[in-house]
Amino acid sequence: MNKPLIENAGYTNWRKKLILMLLVGSLSILGVSLICLNFGVVPIHPKEIFSLLWGNSPDKTNSLIIWQLRAPRIVLGVITGAALSTVGGAFQGILRNPLADPYILGVSAGAALGACIGIALQHVTGYLFASYLPLFAFIGAMLSLYLVYKSSKISYSANSTGLLLAGVAITFLFSALITILLAISGKELQSMVFWLMGDLSAANWKKISIITLPAIIGCLLLFFSSLDLNALSLGEEEAIHLGINTGKLRIRIFLIGSIIIASVVSFTGLIGFVGLVIPHIARLLVGPDHRIMLPASAFLGGIFLILCDVLARTVIAPTEIPIGAITAIVGAPLFIYLLRRKNK
Amino acid sequence: MADNNNNNILTLKGVHFSYNDNREILSDINFYLPKGELLGIIGPNGSGKTTLLNVISGILKPKKGEISLLNQNLNKLPIEQIAKFISVVPQDTWVTFNFKTKEVVFMGRLPYISRLKGETLEDYQISREAMKKTHSLSLSENNIQEISGGERQRVFMAKALAQTPQLLLLDEFTSHLDLNYKYEMLNLLKKALNEEELTIISVFHDLNLASIASDRLLLLNEGKIEKIGTPQEVLTKEIIQKAYGVKPILISHPDLEVPQVIM
Repeated sequence: MNKPLIENAGYTNWRKKLILMLLVGSLSILGVSLICLNFGVVPIHPKEIFSLLWGNSPDKTNSLIIWQLRAPRIVLGVITGAALSTVGGAFQGILRNPLADPYILGVSAGAALGACIGIALQHVTGYLFASYLPLFAFIGAMLSLYLVYKSSKISYSANSTGLLLAGVAITFLFSALITILLAISGKELQSMVFWLMGDLSAANWKKISIITLPAIIGCLLLFFSSLDLNALSLGEEEAIHLGINTGKLRIRIFLIGSIIIASVVSFTGLIGFVGLVIPHIARLLVGPDHRIMLPASAFLGGIFLILCDVLARTVIAPTEIPIGAITAIVGAPLFIYLLRRKNK
Repeated sequence: MADNNNNNILTLKGVHFSYNDNREILSDINFYLPKGELLGIIGPNGSGKTTLLNVISGILKPKKGEISLLNQNLNKLPIEQIAKFISVVPQDTWVTFNFKTKEVVFMGRLPYISRLKGETLEDYQISREAMKKTHSLSLSENNIQEISGGERQRVFMAKALAQTPQLLLLDEFTSHLDLNYKYEMLNLLKKALNEEELTIISVFHDLNLASIASDRLLLLNEGKIEKIGTPQEVLTKEIIQKAYGVKPILISHPDLEVPQVIM
């Protein structure tokens, strides 16, 4: 075949772009994780951390701190940040709404209600079942997912506004119930509020082993819808003209995304802001093509969340600031700065 | 040209359309479209022009009647199949996220691209060729949200051609174009009709442009076909007065000898 005059007819091969992005992303996330391991209440010398990672240090306490406290917290942070950002990006795509976040379709409100009911029951019955809270949250999330799905079908199923309105309505309903629970609660108020603001401090390997698989499989499924999400940004009808069943696509992304979010937030609580802002930052850096943008969001979200977590546990140590507050305090100015720079 | 000619790319038989409130938007639409023709749809506001286009593109399903595309029932074809035959240049060309124009044009290739394997060099080449034909190649590195409405329409035209359709549907595609691009686009369409065996249906707002561009005109009025035929047959004083409710003055175009309407 003749060599074309312009390579790839002026297009960049997306596979090359993706591979480069995956490479840069993995290396940065590894680097940032190693740096984050150094922060904590107990000072441990970087050299010792290095030898601890290779498993040849005599110090049992430090080994425990690194392997059972700091490392799982970082891994949970990476998975949570990546999942929230990927789903946020995909939801912005199906709803054609840059203001969408992973919580907009109501799944988080369900999880929150479930968790608060769990905490309240614990107080009323006197049984301690803190370890079952994620189960309560997950059941709540599935309930809200079901309700949103059903009510969006009743109104206008082939329309993103229908899904959005159903999500907003269910969120309001569940939030009202949470408010009532908060109002009548006594001592358990603080645990409820902490759950609502998100928390990585209870990370352990068992939790990580439960959420890793759904998060990875879910994000891969979202990734394989990238081209359809691209087309949807031309408009609903345009996407149909390109042979895409937009109604089915929207329901598929909504279900996959919600299940990812339900399984993650059941363990971490509602960490806000990440899923809204990281996809935008990813778009500014790598462009809007979802095939590149979604994986880039995952990496950026992971890095962003573990950096925020370091701040959360060191700024006024030993007291921890809720990570949801840090993500907004750090993220909002960063986002505005990037937007301004882009518009110049 | 007989009604049941196999040369027809599209046939509508007794097509009715209404939304749920049962007010008929289209009633009893019958026509056929031979390969290689440019059919202009005209009519006053609210006469159902865009609805008719949406029924033909398969977005809206008719309540009654049958549409056949290349002798197959359109509404029984899966939409990914329809997308290989029909492409559309919409009126609204806003894009949610700020893609480069070349990426928008490339989306025209989506009906042909396997979601697992991704695109091939051929898809890139077809997209580039479509940009060349529509004089939008110089815009290829620009962001779609940062070019003018007329430039966006040329980019969307390129996207529709990259889809390599047999039937091209245009919804008032010239509305944002400058005079020079309007005529350049008309020439492009004429060229595409001849060289690429394309068939075109276009909704026109501008009766004079419709008269110059079209082989036949279809005049819609209150959801019914008022008249279908050559521009000379459709653009007469009586018919225009009936559909639009005004008394027009008709002259003949000095070069092309098609009717032109002046007020």
